[in-house]
Amino acid sequence: MTTIALVGQPNCGKSTLFNQIAGYKSLAANFPGATVTYTKGTTYIDNELVEVIDLPGTYSLSWYDDAEKETVKALFSMDIDVIVNIIDASMLIRSIELTLELMSLERPMVVALNMMDEAKKKGIYIDVEKLEEILGIKVVPIIAKKGKGIKELLQNIKDAKKPRKRCVYSQKVEERIKELSECVDKSIKGEHWPSKLLAIKAIEGFKPCEELVGRTDCSPILKIAKGELEDGMVIINQRHALCMNIFEQSSKVKKPKKRSAESYIDDLLMHPIVGYVFMFLIFIGIFYAVFTGGAPIENLVMGLFDDIDGYLATIIHNRLAFSIVKGTVDGVGAAMGIALPYLLPFLFIISLLEDVGYLPRIAYLMDSTMHRMGVHGTSVIPFVAGYGCSVPAIMAIRILKSKKEKYISAFLASLVPCSARTTVIMGLVGYFLGYMYVIGLYAFNLLIIMISGMILKKMLPGISPEMIIDIPPYRLPTIKTLLLKTWHKVKDFVYLAIPMLIIGSIVLTLISYYQLNGYINNIFKPVLSGFLGLPAALGVVLIFGILKKELTLIMLYQALGLSSISMVSSAMSPTQMLTFTVFVIFYIPCVATIAAINKELGAKGGLFVTLGTTVLALILAFLTKLFAPLFI
Amino acid sequence: MKLLDAETEKTYRVVSIEGGCQSKDRLIKLGILPGVLIILKRKAPLRGPFMVNLNGSDIVIGRGIASKIEVEEIL
Repeated sequence: MTTIALVGQPNCGKSTLFNQIAGYKSLAANFPGATVTYTKGTTYIDNELVEVIDLPGTYSLSWYDDAEKETVKALFSMDIDVIVNIIDASMLIRSIELTLELMSLERPMVVALNMMDEAKKKGIYIDVEKLEEILGIKVVPIIAKKGKGIKELLQNIKDAKKPRKRCVYSQKVEERIKELSECVDKSIKGEHWPSKLLAIKAIEGFKPCEELVGRTDCSPILKIAKGELEDGMVIINQRHALCMNIFEQSSKVKKPKKRSAESYIDDLLMHPIVGYVFMFLIFIGIFYAVFTGGAPIENLVMGLFDDIDGYLATIIHNRLAFSIVKGTVDGVGAAMGIALPYLLPFLFIISLLEDVGYLPRIAYLMDSTMHRMGVHGTSVIPFVAGYGCSVPAIMAIRILKSKKEKYISAFLASLVPCSARTTVIMGLVGYFLGYMYVIGLYAFNLLIIMISGMILKKMLPGISPEMIIDIPPYRLPTIKTLLLKTWHKVKDFVYLAIPMLIIGSIVLTLISYYQLNGYINNIFKPVLSGFLGLPAALGVVLIFGILKKELTLIMLYQALGLSSISMVSSAMSPTQMLTFTVFVIFYIPCVATIAAINKELGAKGGLFVTLGTTVLALILAFLTKLFAPLFI
Repeated sequence: MKLLDAETEKTYRVVSIEGGCQSKDRLIKLGILPGVLIILKRKAPLRGPFMVNLNGSDIVIGRGIASKIEVEEIL
């Protein structure tokens, strides 16, 4: 089967094109051994099945973050028959830099010149034939959003040829590059880098390439080349001049003098004060829409599954068989109860913010605060989402770039009390101790998140590179692209979470069927009663809480043998309530969240968060036991 | 002067970029290289990043990187 790869710079409309070509049946896949995701799908060109791979956007073949690194690795190692380079016509100069690099891979290639309409709006008129002639590659103008030019593009993909020309530098530069690449050819084997590209990147000082070449006998040649070419600046300047030249030859520019409406919107949304107010309002809006809108739907879904349980009870009379069937049904119900009411709308809104171009602006606003915790400004999204439900919060870390950032954000987002844990905070601490303690707990939680972030930033390997991002113009995405994006994410979650929730539910029903509560409480007694000074009967509550945190409060009074929640104060002292609540806020995330972490970070990530939060919860609950009496 | 000390709404010419960091390569790929003109558009509060405009497109860069870009003001 022919494989084509879509390659382009961020925000060039690559995903939109992908969805136009290979829409519905696409799958999200992870690069081998990495947490970075790409999408693949299939389409037909002249009745021939073709595989389409949508690689993450990259500005250049010299990477700056994990996602770009994986894209470059994939380009070198995957069996790709045709490279489709998508270019944002309104950013021609910058885009051609990547095109020139891709040309040096010497594979069949087609350029899809996207956003011709936007370029026109900016006053840029591109002569496509001229551009095609200069580059020596077929150039197809498209408007991906409207599906224009797609047919022609597919035809040209089928007939794609290797680039006719090479990027030509001055004679002096070419000699140095040739000298080094010939040496590299002889001494470096098994590397995927084409030797000319490797030589250029090494001279330009791109660390991975420089080190690779520096370790070989070519090191002296590299040194001479670097000396003669001013550490590669000569190459860089020549290539930039070449790109400018290509732009000038192929385009006419009529600069519209008028200031665009966008810059006025930015004056508000990126304003040092008003910008934060808008951001806050947008967050509140999302939160309100998703969680007040979601609750009735969740009740509806849960009610439906309760009815199914009730019906099953009447037809299955063997109690063990019933327990297992009920566990299965409850597991599916729990997954649906999260996915439909909360995940679907939340992920839709996140995709909308992403495609409209608001996320980079949030990153700009929040960068200084978040950077102290080793993450970029965009990580504020998982945090805010965390107050509603941890699952969408974890799924939102997909928009982050580096592995370190993903780990830190996943850990911190799972510490944010979700709405289920909020019921414990409100129902126990709020009800019995008063609202000042609730506010205190939230403040304490924020403090711990900040401190944990700072510690993780120091502890985890990897650098947190400073932000260099471009702010895309505001764009209206198509509903189709948004729905497909949302659908992929929800589907991933449902597939992954349902098995875990079913197993969890069956285990719990078996525990109550065989009446193992006593044994479980005994196992946890040393930690719970001995270390934290809590009633031993709470062991089973905390275990059930891992399945669904919503169960915690309901099970609490049942486990204590009380007839209603209002009697808890007779069985637990205020200190015990605080200790218990602190533990519930910080300990192991629920099964669905762990499933989401496994999906985004792999099992290692899931284990890291599970163990880390447990240790943290034990320490904090112990400190609460010691110091709470001072405040009560 | 360094871009870090620049003022908003003024135009500057990039003189040089301190080498040795991976960010230099990225800046160049985005078109920020010696000789080009940039306008400093905004500075995020609380020592946040800078937004500069280059040929009509906006680019955000952290302050650490801004301290490594030597610029001169265009009057």
